[in-house]
Amino acid sequence: MIDLWILGKLFALLAFVIYVIFAGVVVRQIYLMTTTVKVGFELPLRGIAWAHLGAAILVLLFVAAYL
Amino acid sequence: MADLYVAGEDKSVVGKNPASHSTPGHSHNPLAAFSYMPDKVNFETAEEREKVILFLRPHIVTNIPWLIIATVLFLAPSVLSTFPLLSFLPDKFQVVAVLGWYLVATAFVLENFLTWFFNIYILTDERIIDIDFHNLIYREVSETKIDKIQDVTYKLGGVARAIFHYGDVYIQTAGTIPNFEFMGVPNPNEVVRIIQELRTQEEQEAIEGRVR
Repeated sequence: MIDLWILGKLFALLAFVIYVIFAGVVVRQIYLMTTTVKVGFELPLRGIAWAHLGAAILVLLFVAAYL
Repeated sequence: MADLYVAGEDKSVVGKNPASHSTPGHSHNPLAAFSYMPDKVNFETAEEREKVILFLRPHIVTNIPWLIIATVLFLAPSVLSTFPLLSFLPDKFQVVAVLGWYLVATAFVLENFLTWFFNIYILTDERIIDIDFHNLIYREVSETKIDKIQDVTYKLGGVARAIFHYGDVYIQTAGTIPNFEFMGVPNPNEVVRIIQELRTQEEQEAIEGRVR
C-alpha cells in the first residue's frame, strides 16, 4: 500500500517545480519586454526577476530536503 | 501706454526644444504614469529622428485594489495561525503549505505589478503606440500614425478619478485598428490637448510638403 504522504510529498514537489518554471517564464518575459520598451528601469526589473527565480529554486530545494 | 493685446500663455509642446527638467509633466521617475518629453524612454520600432512626446501608464492609484488583496494574502497566514485550519496535516506539510501560500502571493504581486508597469501608451511626433500587457504570456502592441487620427475624446467620472484626476482617452483612427483606448491615464485633458497639437503639426507638414 502506498503511503499517502509520499504521494503528498510528490505533489508538493511537482507544485514547486511548476512554480520554478513560472519564475523562469517571468525572467524571460521581463527580458523580452525590457528590450521592447526601455524606460530606465531595466536593471532593477531584471534583478527582481532573477532574485525571484533564485528564491523559487531555493524553496524547491528546501522542500525536497525538508519533506 | 496700455497694452492693446497680451498673448495667452503658450502651452504648445510640439516642436519645442527638449523639455527642461523643470517643465511641468517632465519626470525622471521610471514608475511615473505621466511623463512629458521623457529622457530615457525608447522602444524597439522607434525611428532614428522620432521624438517621444508623452509617455503614459494607468494612474498609480489603479493599483490599489490588487495591493489590498496582496496585503491580505501576505497577512493571512499570521492571522489565521490562531485557527487550526491546517491541523490535519503533519507539521512539515504545514510549513510547506505556508511556504507555497507565500509563493502564490508573490506571484500574484509580480504579475499585477508587471501588468501595470508594461501597459504603456507612447505618443511620438509621428505615431501613437499602445502596448497592452494582458498577462505574462500575452501582449498586444498597436500603433497608428498621428495623421490617421479622426476623433479624440476623454472621459473622467467617479469619485476616485475626480480626486486623482485620471480618466480614459478614446482615439478613433482611420487605420487598421479603428480605436485606441488609453485607460486610467493621468491628466486626460492634457493628453487630448497634446494629441490635437500633434495632429495640427501633421496637417501643417502635409500642407507644406514636409516629412518632419
